[in-house]
Amino acid sequence: MAKQYDVLFRLLLIGDSGVGKTCLLCRFTDNEFHSSHISTIGVDFKMKTIEVDGIKVRIQIWDTAGQERYQTITKQYYRRAQGIFLVYDISSERSYQHIMKWVSDVDEYAPEGVQKILIGNKADEEQKRQVGREQGQQLAKEYGMDFYETSACTNLNIKESFTRLTELVLQAHRKELDGLRTCASNELALAELEEDEGKTEGPANSSKTCWC
Amino acid sequence: MAESGEALGTVPEHERILQEIESTDTACVGPTLRSVYDGQPNAHKKFMEKLDACIRNHDKEIEKMCNFHHQGFVDAITELLKVRADAEKLKVQVTDTNRRFQDAGKEVIEQTEDIIRCRIQQRNITTVVEKLQLCLPVLEMYSKLKEQMSMQRYYSALKTMEQLENVYFPRVSQYRFCQLMMDTLPKLREDIKDISMSDLKDFLESIRKHSDKIGETAMKQAQQQKSFSIAVQKQTNMRFGKNMHVNNDRTLEEKSDIILKHTLEEEAENDEEVLTVQDLVDFSPVYRCSHIYSALGDEETFENYYRKQRKKQARLVLQPQSSVHETVDGYRRYFTQIVGFFVVEDHILHVTQGLVTRAYTDELWNMALSKIIAVLRAHSSYCTDPDLVLELKNLIVIFADTLQGYGFSVNRLFDLLFEIRDQYNETLLKKWAGIFRDIFEEDNYSPIPIGSEEEYKMVISKFPFQDPDLEKQSFPKKFPMSQSVPLIYIQVKEFIYASLKFSESLHRSSTEIDDMLRKSTNLLLTRILSSCLLNLIRKPHIGLTELVQIIINTTHLEQACKYLEDFITNITNISQETVHTTRLYGLSTFKDARHAAEGEIYTKLNQKIDEFVQLADYDWTMAESDGRASGYLMDLINFLRSIFQVFTHLPGKVAQTACMSACQHLSTSLMQMLLDSELKQISMGAVQQFNLDVIQCELFASSEPVPGFQGDTLQLAFIDLRQLLDLFMVWDWSTYLADYGQPASKYLRVNPHAALTLLEKMKDTSKKNNIFAQFRKNDRDRQKLIETVVKQLRGLVTGMSQHM
Repeated sequence: MAKQYDVLFRLLLIGDSGVGKTCLLCRFTDNEFHSSHISTIGVDFKMKTIEVDGIKVRIQIWDTAGQERYQTITKQYYRRAQGIFLVYDISSERSYQHIMKWVSDVDEYAPEGVQKILIGNKADEEQKRQVGREQGQQLAKEYGMDFYETSACTNLNIKESFTRLTELVLQAHRKELDGLRTCASNELALAELEEDEGKTEGPANSSKTCWC
Repeated sequence: MAESGEALGTVPEHERILQEIESTDTACVGPTLRSVYDGQPNAHKKFMEKLDACIRNHDKEIEKMCNFHHQGFVDAITELLKVRADAEKLKVQVTDTNRRFQDAGKEVIEQTEDIIRCRIQQRNITTVVEKLQLCLPVLEMYSKLKEQMSMQRYYSALKTMEQLENVYFPRVSQYRFCQLMMDTLPKLREDIKDISMSDLKDFLESIRKHSDKIGETAMKQAQQQKSFSIAVQKQTNMRFGKNMHVNNDRTLEEKSDIILKHTLEEEAENDEEVLTVQDLVDFSPVYRCSHIYSALGDEETFENYYRKQRKKQARLVLQPQSSVHETVDGYRRYFTQIVGFFVVEDHILHVTQGLVTRAYTDELWNMALSKIIAVLRAHSSYCTDPDLVLELKNLIVIFADTLQGYGFSVNRLFDLLFEIRDQYNETLLKKWAGIFRDIFEEDNYSPIPIGSEEEYKMVISKFPFQDPDLEKQSFPKKFPMSQSVPLIYIQVKEFIYASLKFSESLHRSSTEIDDMLRKSTNLLLTRILSSCLLNLIRKPHIGLTELVQIIINTTHLEQACKYLEDFITNITNISQETVHTTRLYGLSTFKDARHAAEGEIYTKLNQKIDEFVQLADYDWTMAESDGRASGYLMDLINFLRSIFQVFTHLPGKVAQTACMSACQHLSTSLMQMLLDSELKQISMGAVQQFNLDVIQCELFASSEPVPGFQGDTLQLAFIDLRQLLDLFMVWDWSTYLADYGQPASKYLRVNPHAALTLLEKMKDTSKKNNIFAQFRKNDRDRQKLIETVVKQLRGLVTGMSQHM
């Protein structure tokens, strides 16, 4: 079977229920936004191929249920994760405080060298903000993570944050991939990438009430 | 003798002639004398002789007589001479007397002349008075005529003119002024005609302006009458109603009383304001004009003009404004104008003689009705708001009832209402499609959490859910369905109410209404709700979570359908024993939706499996397996395990089918991967690695991820792969070939074509190592065996082809 990518990475989304993990994923993979309040139960995933530093990376992104009763199931996926998004909601002080618990789970269940990034979602909800940008920045610094405030609703920092985590994972596996760079350059499918990048961004409907 | 005879004959003749001359008037003597000359030639000579003889006789007689009276004559003369002297005296006396009379009478004569002049004057005066007495009435009548004209009492003026012409003018027709007067009458008549017509035009304009008010008033009165009748009827029904619960009975009775009370109050209030058409419009111009034209003998002109103008007005009234369909007020104005028009016609029909006839108004109404129906049919098709359609229907009912009260036929309007009802139901269906979409959009597809008894009762009051086990559980607990279920149920009932509203006032039996409601509800369930569910299920981004919940939801909605039937039966008040010709078909809707959701679950699950399989990263030429299953496959197995762990509330059959479908799909995908024509070479090491993965699949299948499977049922999904891999790993070709086609064959499920395909991939691998093979006897023997088996398998495949 002819592969369409050079390398596969598995990323994991974790965080409290309702912070918008599924919406982030939909915005990134399908460039669509659904103001839905359907809770994820168990685990789901989506696939997307992006190019980073000339290497075509196929990323499988696991979306987990934030509710307590599904933790037994979701923990099984930490072991296989290469990169992890820790997500909180800027309009929920509680979800920000719970990042500490999520970090603890990562330390316990994820591999030693797993890459992590902190996400403050729903940045468009300025009126309801409870967590300042500086707080997020500070927390990320303490844990040695990169930090992004995002909005799945307005498509803010979505591509940036996902690309960044992929870069981090890529760097961690640099040695394994050095030999692939030369070959990848020769096999680059420019038309396909141009077509992908040319995809129209969904209109940002700022007046629409966001649920995630 | 001859002469003697002739003479004798002539004598009597001449004597006769002489007698005639003496006795006949002188005027007639001619003919007599002429007869003398007409006779014998010498007759007149003889006649003359006779005549002379007659004369002499007469003279003698005269002398005798004179002699006899001579003495008397003389005496007389003597007497006369005496009188002469006396007469002369008398003459002088008379003359003197006369002179004295003359002198004395001069004054008398003078006075007499005065008297004569006076009498002449008196006679003249009398004559003048007589003449004037003839003329004065004429002048008075004419003056009266002028006054009547100035006071606009034209009918009276016409009567006056008639009297003048027939009674007064003949008496004084010889006078000039009379002629002048007579000459002015025709013009006055024309003036009266023109003025009356002008009044009529003003009247027509007036009723056109007031049509709105007239119609509005009439429709309000009809509506009040109906409200009152309905209230009374409800009261009566309540008294004798059956199957009424105590609470319902009291509530409905109280409501009915309130309605009746309010209706009576309204009636009382409006009594002061009730206006008749006469209060709104002055009809006197019509009456006057009618009388005037009748008096002038020109009724036909008047009638024709009136009817023509009213037909024009009717066409104007019947032509709606282009925006009439946008609001109910547009329709109301349209209807009130029409009602106003026909109320006026009805009034005129009853108060005039022949100006309009029932045939005329009926003809006008039929024309109007066709136009109205065409307008309503066209404009109502633009209505997309069911509330507007409902208000339109109410308006049409009031409109129809109002005109029916005035004697116009309205059956066709009620026929139209059934068309509008169908359209109303269409707009309802569209509206409810939107409502259902919104409900599904807002649902979170999670079981409804209940934290207290109040919350529990709240849900139970909206949706007829019955589960003793759930009822006994302690709080917090959950209903199995998500929040869309009670909302859908409530909205279906709201739809039924809305659909029922249209049938009010349409004079249909309860059975008929019940039947119609069931048909409407069937359309809602089988077309609208079904469509919404299917669209929801086929949404690209719908997740397994939603699909599972939808299956559970549709199960509960299906069970609730029987309560909807009871609901319809109750609100139409028909007997419980009535056999319904129409049943609710919602059951099939929910079954179909459930099947679609189940199918979609299988589809999405298989799509997830495909995405994992695409991540497969086998090194097909590896020398040895690394002893562990592939990472992608372990992720896949974990994913499936997670899915079925989470969906514990999925109905058993669905979970089993989903699990079986997933395993079969996974098995098929792995087999296709192995037999892929683009895959050219496979090493035994790769086969061993592949086998490790299949073992993981079998472990998953045997771990009973979903309860309810019998024995090894689930593992059967992988049996084809298992036997194929066993054949190759054990290299048991002699057994396979020997037992081929036997029911008891160990490798019964190995397809020769598959075996051949895979073996050829391995043969190619062996060829690659020919250099080394030359140095190892075992490898050479293996190669020969492969060639032999390949040939035999080809034979089997060929045989299969021929057989097919």
